[in-house]
Amino acid sequence: MNKHKYFYTLLVGLFISGSLLAQSADISPQRKQAIDSLALEKVKDLSKYISIIGNKTTPYSEATRVMDRAEELFAEDSEMGVSSLNRKEINYYKVRQYFERLIALNYDRVKIQWYDIHYISDLERQPDGRYVGVITIYQRFEGESDDGIKYKDTTKKDITIYVERKKTQIAGRTIEFWDVLLGDIRVTETSA
Amino acid sequence: MITRFVLFLVLIFSSSYLHAQITNEMEDESRLYAETKQINQFFRRFNGEEDEKGERYYPKDKQFRNPKLRKKYLEMLFDRSNAGISNDLKIQFVNDVLEKNDPAILDFNGANWFAEVQSTFTANGKAQLVTLFMELEKHHLGRRWVIYKVHADRFDPYFKRDTVPVGKFLHPMSHELDFMNLRKAFLNRDSVTQYVSKKFEPDHLSVFLYEVKRGGLQFKSVDQVKFHFFQIPGWYFELAEFNRPGYNTGWLISNLVKFNNEGDEALLRRYLHHEIN
Repeated sequence: MNKHKYFYTLLVGLFISGSLLAQSADISPQRKQAIDSLALEKVKDLSKYISIIGNKTTPYSEATRVMDRAEELFAEDSEMGVSSLNRKEINYYKVRQYFERLIALNYDRVKIQWYDIHYISDLERQPDGRYVGVITIYQRFEGESDDGIKYKDTTKKDITIYVERKKTQIAGRTIEFWDVLLGDIRVTETSA
Repeated sequence: MITRFVLFLVLIFSSSYLHAQITNEMEDESRLYAETKQINQFFRRFNGEEDEKGERYYPKDKQFRNPKLRKKYLEMLFDRSNAGISNDLKIQFVNDVLEKNDPAILDFNGANWFAEVQSTFTANGKAQLVTLFMELEKHHLGRRWVIYKVHADRFDPYFKRDTVPVGKFLHPMSHELDFMNLRKAFLNRDSVTQYVSKKFEPDHLSVFLYEVKRGGLQFKSVDQVKFHFFQIPGWYFELAEFNRPGYNTGWLISNLVKFNNEGDEALLRRYLHHEIN
């Protein structure tokens, strides 16, 4: 379902208007805006999944299913690099490992919220021809235990996005489209 | 002027701020808008290529690189806690950048800027600090960051030059004896550097690669990242990240130097690369 949602978004938002554009290495401002929307949609889905995974009322079976879905948003080998205000050293986790740590957090109630603000960088071309950018979002976390222990923080998440032109066959016709995958995420605790 | 602009930003986002306060009990979001969140945003603000919400301006847009907009942004791009950068110097810099006939623009894909990445490796279980100097390089269809220089304090003792005026040497007729005196030269490893050419310049990158490849150094973590810019003619500035309360946060100019003499730039580059102390 999710894949279909993105695919239709792509077909609607990023229509291949002709071979000329498809051949060009540059991304026009209009196309960039369409790619930004798609990337942002994936980031919002990730935010939603993180909130579900972190919620203590989510049954484990449901959390596992959501983790699978969340993993599908990422390019292979993506990692989370996490640091805090007190510890500058970065801890590196595989995406799945990060989600599993979120489930295992020792709080009885967890509240994860997202600020409205986001920042989308330009897209730069990397050696293999794919484009890469970064979307920054902010998350508010609050955890509370039955024995009264409370913890809260705000983290900045800088999320890598990979943008790639792909091809697919529909009714015998080759259609080119832009696909977006999430990559490594740098998680920094902020003083907000 | 700076305070007015920050206030302007606060007012612009006050509606979302109130919304956040009332409905979500979230903290002040206007601070996050004011923060220079990415290096990319620093470039855009410096060049006047985005609006207050971070939406990009393109060359066809009226406000694209508008001098008034740039002036507002430039004034908020300095680390205001740094008393070492005088107001007078900032004004000179901003005036030079916005020179009417030839305004200066930062170019992400241009030369003359590089990253200094302070990182921790481990050697025999002990933490070792290594500074990687990195720059963007063209490669195949795009660009990539590459390490072009390395500095590690742990390598320094091995390159220390003896300052004795005459010291030890291989006499000029050693070649007639098949350099048999090399045996004595290598007996004391501390004095080996005395037999090396004056032209020799230590290269930490080669030693670093050797150590990593033989398993002597293992990567642990990145500790701090800074950027050094030499793109504005006659000026150098350093860019660092400030994660602190308030509105003067994110990627900001943390050091500013005006070159007064020819040769200042080359000297500063050598200093930043630990090539002179």
